[in-house]
Amino acid sequence: MPRLRGPALAAAALAVVLWLAAADTLVVKVQTTPLRQAPQFFSPTVATLKVGDKLELLTAQGAWRQVKTAAGLSGWVHGSAAEVPKFTLVAMSGGTKTQATAQEAALAGKGFNKEIEQGYRAKHGEVSFVWVEKMLATTVPPALVEEFIKKGKLGEGRTRP
Amino acid sequence: MSSRRLFGLLALGAVLWAAAAPAAAQIRLPGKIGDAAQKAKDAAKILKFVRSSFGDITEEEEYYIGRSVAALILSRYPVLDRPAFTSYLNTLGNAVALSSDRPEIFAGWHFLALDTDEVNALAAPGGMVFVTKGLVLRCPDEDTLAMILAHEIGHVTAKHGLQSIKKSRLTEAFTTLGLQAAESFGPAELAQVTSIFEGVLSDIVEKLVVNGYDRKYEHEADALAVALGSARGYDPNGLLRFLQTMVGDATVVSGKGWFKTHPTPQDRLGKSKSEIGKLKVTPALEEVRTQRFKQILAALR
Repeated sequence: MPRLRGPALAAAALAVVLWLAAADTLVVKVQTTPLRQAPQFFSPTVATLKVGDKLELLTAQGAWRQVKTAAGLSGWVHGSAAEVPKFTLVAMSGGTKTQATAQEAALAGKGFNKEIEQGYRAKHGEVSFVWVEKMLATTVPPALVEEFIKKGKLGEGRTRP
Repeated sequence: MSSRRLFGLLALGAVLWAAAAPAAAQIRLPGKIGDAAQKAKDAAKILKFVRSSFGDITEEEEYYIGRSVAALILSRYPVLDRPAFTSYLNTLGNAVALSSDRPEIFAGWHFLALDTDEVNALAAPGGMVFVTKGLVLRCPDEDTLAMILAHEIGHVTAKHGLQSIKKSRLTEAFTTLGLQAAESFGPAELAQVTSIFEGVLSDIVEKLVVNGYDRKYEHEADALAVALGSARGYDPNGLLRFLQTMVGDATVVSGKGWFKTHPTPQDRLGKSKSEIGKLKVTPALEEVRTQRFKQILAALR
């Protein structure tokens, strides 16, 4: 068996431990997502969660996660909308604290963002975002999708695990 | 956390900690950091550790990359500005995306038709999907168009666009982004990161629009289309019907549009048939769907 040496391997080992330790916490990773009464797409919405909201994981059922919000509301979110916060886990690996600092969180969130897009747009005035904004503004109410599915005899559909 | 799980965790942690302690000391985590400069340097090391591959690109970053990729696609093609068709396309696309691995994506799934006779479909990272009028008019039924959208959704869920970013560029991006300690970029940093961002867009657009994806990605997207299209309730043979129309087509011969990539329609037909053969249940074509599709198409012609 190879010796457990080297920063990468050791840090990965720590990450596994810390992932297990913090697996009861999820963070919303999409702009908004509904907190639903039941683990189904067209189930009534209890509340709307926003990116960065922290959730307590209660249980899992297929691709769905039953969670509790900081405000004490319980409901279901789809697994694709929330994740175990990676950066917080690694920040914990110092062994001296349980949360990333605000600065670390800002650093973790910093990347290709609105500021970078604005820098790109300032440099490339010939690239128009008008239709991109129109495209993103086009939304379909869930009730319409549900009706479309029913009228098209598409059944309940099966969510891939 | 249950006591059994806690005990197991502590035992595992004790073993791994012994092996990991030297590395933890090398990384010098924030709890042991003194001055601000050292703090930023160490934070950068942590970020470098956390972010090393395309899979570490956050949902928000994927969205911002996708927005600009979409803008570049739209700088090459005119938009088919038909609100009724756009509404139908978005309803259909969202119905299919619900069965994917990523029904919830950063800013939701969005679909738009391009006003060109070219037979093509493209997907920008972050869930912005485009189909050309030429492709839509080739579809005999809704199930066929649904399978094309499922193929493009597959490219997004498997992050094929993000995988087109050169590894060296990604390493440069993560290193540069990690080294910035301030909450917003200074002018020099902004210029540097914008330059890397331009490179990222160039890598993706080159694959999407100029060269096309590699063979393995096209086959993977076909397999995903069969899985998620049929999971939604669409007849997966719609993909075969479309591919069949492209056999021997001049568009394929000239290497343009949806078939600029290596796998030929015949090659994709064979592999897709095999994927359909693996399904336990194969949904059938429904006349009600074909009728509503024909009504929508009549208004489009």
